[in-house]
Amino acid sequence: MKKYFTTGNVIITCCALLIAARFGFLIKVYHLFGNWLGFVFTDTQSAFRLLDFSTADHFLSALLIVVIPALVFIFRKSQVIAARINYTNLIIICIFFVFTLAPLITRVNPEFQKNISVTKLLPPFSKVKMLRLKESTEKQYSNIFQAEKNTVVARSFDDNLLFVDSIKEFNDKVFFYQSGAENSLEKSRLVLNDKKSIISKRLFILGSDEFGRDIFSRMIYGARVSLSVGFGAVVIAFFIGSLLGFFAGYSGKWIDILLNRIAEMFLTVPSIFFVILILALFGNNIFSVVFVLGFSGWMSLFKLVRSEIFLIKKKDFFISAGLLGLKKSNLFFKEILPVIIVPVVVNLIFQFGNVVLAESALSFLGLGVGNSFPSWGSMIDSGKNYITTAWWLILFPGLALFTIIFAVNSVGKKISSSITQIKY
Amino acid sequence: MLLKSAAKRIFYSFVVLFLLITFIFFLVRLAPGNPTDKYISPKLSTELAAQITKSFGINEPLHIQYYEFAKNIFSGNLGISYTYRTPVEKVILQFLPFTVMFSIISFSLQLLCAFIFSLFSARRLGKPVDKLLTAVSLALYAVPSFFTGVFLIYIFSVQLKILPSSGISSTGSEYFSSFEIFFDYLRHMILPVVTLSLSGAALFYKYLRDEIETVYKKPFVGFLRSHGYDENFILRKHILPNAAGPFISIAGVELGALLGGAIITEVIFGLPGMGRLTLEAVLSRDYPLVIGCTIIAGVMVIISNFLADFLKAILDKRKLQEGVAG
Repeated sequence: MKKYFTTGNVIITCCALLIAARFGFLIKVYHLFGNWLGFVFTDTQSAFRLLDFSTADHFLSALLIVVIPALVFIFRKSQVIAARINYTNLIIICIFFVFTLAPLITRVNPEFQKNISVTKLLPPFSKVKMLRLKESTEKQYSNIFQAEKNTVVARSFDDNLLFVDSIKEFNDKVFFYQSGAENSLEKSRLVLNDKKSIISKRLFILGSDEFGRDIFSRMIYGARVSLSVGFGAVVIAFFIGSLLGFFAGYSGKWIDILLNRIAEMFLTVPSIFFVILILALFGNNIFSVVFVLGFSGWMSLFKLVRSEIFLIKKKDFFISAGLLGLKKSNLFFKEILPVIIVPVVVNLIFQFGNVVLAESALSFLGLGVGNSFPSWGSMIDSGKNYITTAWWLILFPGLALFTIIFAVNSVGKKISSSITQIKY
Repeated sequence: MLLKSAAKRIFYSFVVLFLLITFIFFLVRLAPGNPTDKYISPKLSTELAAQITKSFGINEPLHIQYYEFAKNIFSGNLGISYTYRTPVEKVILQFLPFTVMFSIISFSLQLLCAFIFSLFSARRLGKPVDKLLTAVSLALYAVPSFFTGVFLIYIFSVQLKILPSSGISSTGSEYFSSFEIFFDYLRHMILPVVTLSLSGAALFYKYLRDEIETVYKKPFVGFLRSHGYDENFILRKHILPNAAGPFISIAGVELGALLGGAIITEVIFGLPGMGRLTLEAVLSRDYPLVIGCTIIAGVMVIISNFLADFLKAILDKRKLQEGVAG
């Protein structure tokens, strides 16, 4: 019984379920990918011009959904994959899936909005009646790839969709009502659903926001923003903190004193002040947010690396490595990093949680990555204006943030407690 | 011994403060954007525009500006706020009392909760209750404070309608008697204090409990037990003083951060504190006010760290021999 619920099996099952649910869509994406590959061999330049971010995203996720189970199968003997599933592993798998396979999990564009009067502020699990118009024939695309891409990749606007409150069929005309306003259409212009009914329904699984955008899809894509900001900031903090720590600990003397004072200066003011100050002064976009959040988190790593290096400096293996004439960079990467890697990783994991939290706090204050990307913090921020009517606007992003930070902190705690057990 | 290390410590604090002032000054002046933009419209005559620019003192060379600035700071003159058009000290003095009171209430509440719960856990280490408390504290620590705030407003102000959602006084409170004003104030402070305290209390609890656990594992505790000392005596006389050191450091950092202003909580509940003042000053490019607020936040952190170190040195005399610097 025990060996069935391993991490690897859960991953493979998730992939299989996702493939089963999106089978038709995946076939379409592969077909599109095949077309595009054909383009690459005939006309490389225009092929890469046609490839925008969301298309590449679709291709990548369609490839990964096959590659991931294969990789898991190949490495099924490794300890992490054969381990029994637990809460933190499950959350990390979910995060990874959301991060890489977003276009497969939700097929709605996070910015998609249409007929706001009908779709705004819908509670979770509400279904909206939807009419689909036939594709207008006069639209000409420059090539087949473009035309096919439009049917596959989720767009932020669709002319051929109408969300309606109710409809009434009368002879060959269809009357539809959108929050009181009556409109009519020729029945022949509508696409028939299963050859019978003209109505199809769209499910807003977590409801919709004040602009009629799907919250589920915004959360899935918002996860990407939060997580990539987290990763980027942690990488920056790692480089700044460990290198400065190395210099301070290795050279000692006045460099050490100076860097220590500077680190203390940064610790003096709460980092959120620094971050807000820099973002407000130099403008906020995703790169500045990543950089500033990374920059504001180097001090703890600096102190850690510095104190560890003071200990290592006296050890025989390090002295002999220095006498052998190793370069400073080699001394750091080959002699010191392997020794201190575990506490550093623990520090970085906790930092990751803090950065994700800080990013959403910044978005909450309106200083985040901007409106071009959905973000959990900004979703809560805009949701608080509708707090009397729509609780789902803040509940779901808040829960998502809580889940991620909780999982990250638990992982950090688990690793650090296993280290202390080794030490004692 | 105590005096010497304290003097050394204060000297280092001043060096850090000076570095901070310098850093903030150059950061603010080198940023794109101009504080005069808000006051000079294109219709204004050129002489008037030049006069305004001159009154801000920002067309001098940078090093002269810095010299003037440093001179003013050390003579206690923080300049005149661009938006409030009054001296920065006065603006800050309007906002500081609230923040100090707010953070001290919250801080004592956090300490109290952490103490009670970690003493509760200390008797039951490894038992299910202790594990549950640890899990709850980890969970509380993971809830973002802006989510807690908005969520509490939704439950207590929107649904139950028993607590106000923002501000520090109700409309028409000027006609209240002093008792009613106090009660009204109290009612307004409940939600912000809870929002601000939850994650901090969870953090403190986790630290203190973990420290207590580490100390319990040390051999001297077994020695004391085998000599028949009372469990309460061991906890009070040996475990707590040993566990307090790292906890006090963390508490010092947290107190400093709180005294600098709790931006998120103040923004959610519309409170007149330092955090919101700083945010507004930054957004309106009110340079003197930004610098003033940052210095205040820095001084608060330095003071509370100093207090923490002092307390640690009193509790554990060995710290004095090691020197307090660093």
